[in-house]
Amino acid sequence: MTDIALKAKGITKYFYDPVKFPALKNIDLEVNKGEFVSIVGKSGCGKSTLLYVLSTMDTDYEGELLINGTMVTGKSLNDLAAIRNGSIGFVFQFHYLLPDFSCLKNVMIPALRLGKLSPKEIEAKAYEKLKMFGVEEQALKKANKLSGGQQQRVAIARALINDPAIIMGDEPTGNLDSKNTGVVFDLFQQLSKEFGQTLVTVTHDEDFAKRSDRIIVMADGEVQSHGR
Amino acid sequence: MKLSVNTEIALTYLSARKKQTAVAAMGVMFGISMFIFMQSLMKGTNDYFEQQSFNTMPHIHIYSENKLANTHLMDNYLKDSSLKLLVNPKMVPQPTGLINPVGIIEVIKHDSEVVAVTPQVTANVFYNSGNIQLNGVVVGVNIIEENKMFDLKNDMVMGSLDDLEKISNGIVIGKGIADKLSLHVGDIITLAAATGGTQTMRIVGIFSTTIMQTDNSKSYANIAQVQTLLGKNRSYVTDIMVNIKDYNRAPAVAKKLATITGYKAEDWVQANESLKAAFKIRAVILNSVIGVILLVAGFGIYNILNMTIYEKIKEIAILKAIGFSGPSVTSIFLQQAIYIGIMGGIVGIGVGFGLTYMVSRIYIGAGSLKYLPMSFYVPHYIEAVLFGILTTIAAGYFPARKASKVDPVSIIRG
Repeated sequence: MTDIALKAKGITKYFYDPVKFPALKNIDLEVNKGEFVSIVGKSGCGKSTLLYVLSTMDTDYEGELLINGTMVTGKSLNDLAAIRNGSIGFVFQFHYLLPDFSCLKNVMIPALRLGKLSPKEIEAKAYEKLKMFGVEEQALKKANKLSGGQQQRVAIARALINDPAIIMGDEPTGNLDSKNTGVVFDLFQQLSKEFGQTLVTVTHDEDFAKRSDRIIVMADGEVQSHGR
Repeated sequence: MKLSVNTEIALTYLSARKKQTAVAAMGVMFGISMFIFMQSLMKGTNDYFEQQSFNTMPHIHIYSENKLANTHLMDNYLKDSSLKLLVNPKMVPQPTGLINPVGIIEVIKHDSEVVAVTPQVTANVFYNSGNIQLNGVVVGVNIIEENKMFDLKNDMVMGSLDDLEKISNGIVIGKGIADKLSLHVGDIITLAAATGGTQTMRIVGIFSTTIMQTDNSKSYANIAQVQTLLGKNRSYVTDIMVNIKDYNRAPAVAKKLATITGYKAEDWVQANESLKAAFKIRAVILNSVIGVILLVAGFGIYNILNMTIYEKIKEIAILKAIGFSGPSVTSIFLQQAIYIGIMGGIVGIGVGFGLTYMVSRIYIGAGSLKYLPMSFYVPHYIEAVLFGILTTIAAGYFPARKASKVDPVSIIRG
């Protein structure tokens, strides 16, 4: 087994609207297992774009992407969906819960999809995750009845439900106050240190970035500094 | 029961928008109940008219037909290979009586598909009463067998059919004849055959069918009486009526009987082409109405699911981001369509049955038809649900496929 959780080789991506424009230029990137990496950079530097490529959702790029040593570039959309389901947890810039479902269901759905545990076990696990973020009282409320910060915490709980090898966050603390940002940060650090989960987050929050293991700085679609 | 996660999501979406779901299901319900109602009405009336026609008509009618002159006779004399030509051949009159009717009846009776055989003698006659003459047809029958075949008792309005058996010169006449000649049960009527014979008969009953022409001209008498009227012997029979187990097989059986007997065997389909044509036309009209209704219901579902998908496009993107594959997303939305179809189907069966039952209680009272003939035929209900669900699947498939093709990145990044 390799120690590299995420490896990108020569990733290049173009935007075509309004004119052909390189959003990512020949990016090489390695993230080790259990590492907590922050990607920072100015707006429009391509850091979110890179994250979506790394998350396997965006398949329109040149170059190669390996997750846990497995080549994922060129796999079918359905295979990629299965990879995301089992080994990638994703936290979006805005909370993005399913409003018709309770918070508990929202957290449970990825695990139900995976189908490795019984619904009872999944429910217990989902409660545990909600408790970690202090939103267990909201568990049975509909997702759209919660405040933005609460929803964001539920969304993070959802990203963790399948114990993914890699957790990706696009401004995961963007909607949280400093107290809850601290809670989330401590938890992320715990996940990487104690459980060996890899974290890759895109952030504007300098304090958050500084406290992570490594900062990757991006500018104009290129990696300026790998931080090591 | 453990629901799959796709099913759970589909059901949550349906229950989150109860009104829309109900409207879509109502569309299907309407289609299915109309389908059942129309089919019931069509089959009911078709069956009724078929039954009606069998009151006056056998499944197969065997009689002697005039034949076109042929070269057989010449063959007997000119036994060579010369070419014989008949220029402008004429019809050769055949005896109206069948040869060896008893033998024919015996043979027909032994056919496994035949359930009833009865001989008849028909004669064109004048009905005389006082100075008034009326022309018509008297049918000499064995009244017990005839009644079994055509259920004549049902049409009797006065007197009794059974008396025909007891009174040898009894006659049962149509209501039209009775009215025109002012005759009642017990009166005397004189029949004059075209061949010259006359018979005085006693009226024992009066019948009324829904067909005025029959009521105005037809009468039933004992077969021996008509044979005497025509001056023929007891073996004189002009027609043989045959009923078989499954009347839909009549054309095939008729062909077989024609070969066996050598006489013309006419099945009821041939004799009733206009009836059959009417059935077909009705079927086309009703089926196109049903088709349009189901099509409209299908478009309703299509529309609602399409709108749902636009509404839920962000959620579809999330589902894909957290690991739902394209087929899973298709399944979520297709299942919604199917549940709408099932709900509409179940209610549609109930409404269809209720509608059919209600209409079957509407009093019509035309002739012997008292209530609208509606059939309660189980396959119609099964077909209706099948068609309904097929429509919903077809209507749901395209929006569902569109949902499965949503690109999560473009939606989530905005």
